Amino acid sequence: MSFLTEIRLQDKFGPFVAFQDAFGFIPNLLHAQTLLPRVIEAQAMLEKAVRLKEGAIPRVQKERILLCIAADRQDEYCLAVDSKILSSIGASDRQIDDLLSDCGNANLTPAELTSLEFCLKLARHAPSVSSEDIEALRECGFGDQEILEAVLVTALALYRCTLSVGLGPEPDFGLRKGVSTRIDSALGDTRQSLLPDAHKAALRKGPYVPAPYLSLESFSPFAVVQRSHGFIPNFFRAQTLRLDLLEAELEAIDRILLPEDVLTRVQKECILLAVSAANLNSYCVAMHCNLLRGLGMPAEEGDQIAVDHRASTLSEPDRALLDFTVKLGTRSSEFSRDDVGKLQALGFTGEQILECVVVTALNNFANTLQMGLGVEPDFEPPRVFEQNKVHLSDASRTPIEGVHAAHLVEPLPDADAGLVTQAQSGGLEAFEELVRRHSQLIYRTLTGILGNTADAQDAMQDTLLNAFKHIGAFQGRSKFSTWLVSIARNTGLQRLRRAKVFESLDEGEHDDERKHHPRQLRAWQDNPEQFHSKSEMRQLVERGISALPPNYRVVVMLRDIEQLAADDVARQLGLSVPAVKTRLLRGRLMLRDWLSPHFANSVGKAVQ
Amino acid sequence: MITCKEFFAEFADYMENQVSTEVRQELELHLSQCRACHVLYDTTCKTVKIVTESGSFELPQSVSDPIIDRVMARLRTDHK
Repeated sequence: MSFLTEIRLQDKFGPFVAFQDAFGFIPNLLHAQTLLPRVIEAQAMLEKAVRLKEGAIPRVQKERILLCIAADRQDEYCLAVDSKILSSIGASDRQIDDLLSDCGNANLTPAELTSLEFCLKLARHAPSVSSEDIEALRECGFGDQEILEAVLVTALALYRCTLSVGLGPEPDFGLRKGVSTRIDSALGDTRQSLLPDAHKAALRKGPYVPAPYLSLESFSPFAVVQRSHGFIPNFFRAQTLRLDLLEAELEAIDRILLPEDVLTRVQKECILLAVSAANLNSYCVAMHCNLLRGLGMPAEEGDQIAVDHRASTLSEPDRALLDFTVKLGTRSSEFSRDDVGKLQALGFTGEQILECVVVTALNNFANTLQMGLGVEPDFEPPRVFEQNKVHLSDASRTPIEGVHAAHLVEPLPDADAGLVTQAQSGGLEAFEELVRRHSQLIYRTLTGILGNTADAQDAMQDTLLNAFKHIGAFQGRSKFSTWLVSIARNTGLQRLRRAKVFESLDEGEHDDERKHHPRQLRAWQDNPEQFHSKSEMRQLVERGISALPPNYRVVVMLRDIEQLAADDVARQLGLSVPAVKTRLLRGRLMLRDWLSPHFANSVGKAVQ
Repeated sequence: MITCKEFFAEFADYMENQVSTEVRQELELHLSQCRACHVLYDTTCKTVKIVTESGSFELPQSVSDPIIDRVMARLRTDHK
């Protein structure tokens, strides 16, 4: 029996039939997941698309990659299964032994050897992969499709190994006597080339594989990501070269990440964030921080989970869930049945633990894919994991162990910190100085929310009084100015509510601003501002902005008038970055429509 | 070539300079061939420039000083 309860599913259960047909048996790894049939479906989809489907890399080479990664991670379960499968497609015991003990003599072509070496490096320590490695593959004749497939097969290997460690399935077969459980030989010793240095880090510029542009309209499976992420991250756009593989991946995500009947989406995002941070994956950390912010978690809390979830304000059970996932995801050799027992003792159900293991596996799949394809960031990462600060422990065979998220770039110090400390101990002069520094920002936030300057001036007084009242609660996790804006925002919203013209600033369904259709399509004069005086321009803009709905007005005010970065605006208003971007666009387009009659070419014709 | 609808879907990211090189090339190809989207893009950029350079909603010191003074006077009274 595996670590969790297994229940009997019908023999006709689709994934079981598919595995029986493809491999001649139903692996116990699947039986170990029977508490949640949907996650078995997800694994079956990934294996069918990535492993079984005829593609650019021959099946036998994919099996070699899976086997060598299982051996390298000393995963006896996967090693036994993958040896059996490799022999079922024609490899002799001798060939398998040669592959595992001395692959230089295993009759592999130089291209096969190079790709195996690449996949092992990616599996062992993805952050050290650079475009140099991709170049080495290309020199051996690898094209874009082969590279994409090699990265996906590696990601699948880590997905399976994470599941096997976390679920402890009964072996399907015993290991043949003498089969090495670890890769030795020259191939195994890629440690030398793993050592990253500043030069290599600079070479990490991706994306490594070109991907044709596809919109949501032209590739309907993107709807899953649109639903789960609110936008289409570059992570998915980078894989459009093989739509069949991308579609399978999206269907797996649909089954693992979207349902909320077991763990909540916030819990799953916390898992993804914590393990991505432990894997030093800046891209995924930025993405999950932003998604958590969209789900209502304060930005500081997301940052804290990335740095050290133990110090976050999550509940004790949720912190224990993250202890479990980080250990499973990055220190698998230390993981045991006892870790499952700890979660059970805290009241987690079998289904919840299973889902946590599967989400951790999905995370390792995604982290590997992102690093292997060199996907470019969607957002400015809140934390940058510096490559040249990654230390590989001495002669470590699994370099990811022992590497923690401590190697982080410290956030910039807040210039207000000294005054804040004084104000917190009742220093009124210090508070007055802080208020004078930020009065413009507070005023513009309030004008953005309330829509007129008289109300904003009125609300400013309340904001300042509220700020002083609560300054003791400010813990310095965000900049002081961010905190001050949140006080202004709440004071402004309270006022709107009192006036019963409240419109929520929260994200709502009607947030699909991209559907906004601009009305004015007449070209403008070249330098419209030169035909108007400075004060005329200012009045026009002020009237235009005041006429915007509050949702858009406050975003335009902070981004274009106060000129804060989009992610600062998101942080200050408690919105997700995608929501800020879409609101900003809509606000700008409305403003454009409003200004158009003043600046359009009088002789120009409207464009149809 | 991408459609106007597809261009519009990427418009926000493009304006914020947050699209990949490939997407950028597609969008710029579209802009060079579609007058309607070109006008939309050009006028929106001009709008942003006008708004950012307008110096709108400046809070004059003559307004902010009395507000801050009033608040500070009240806090000082409360803290006596």
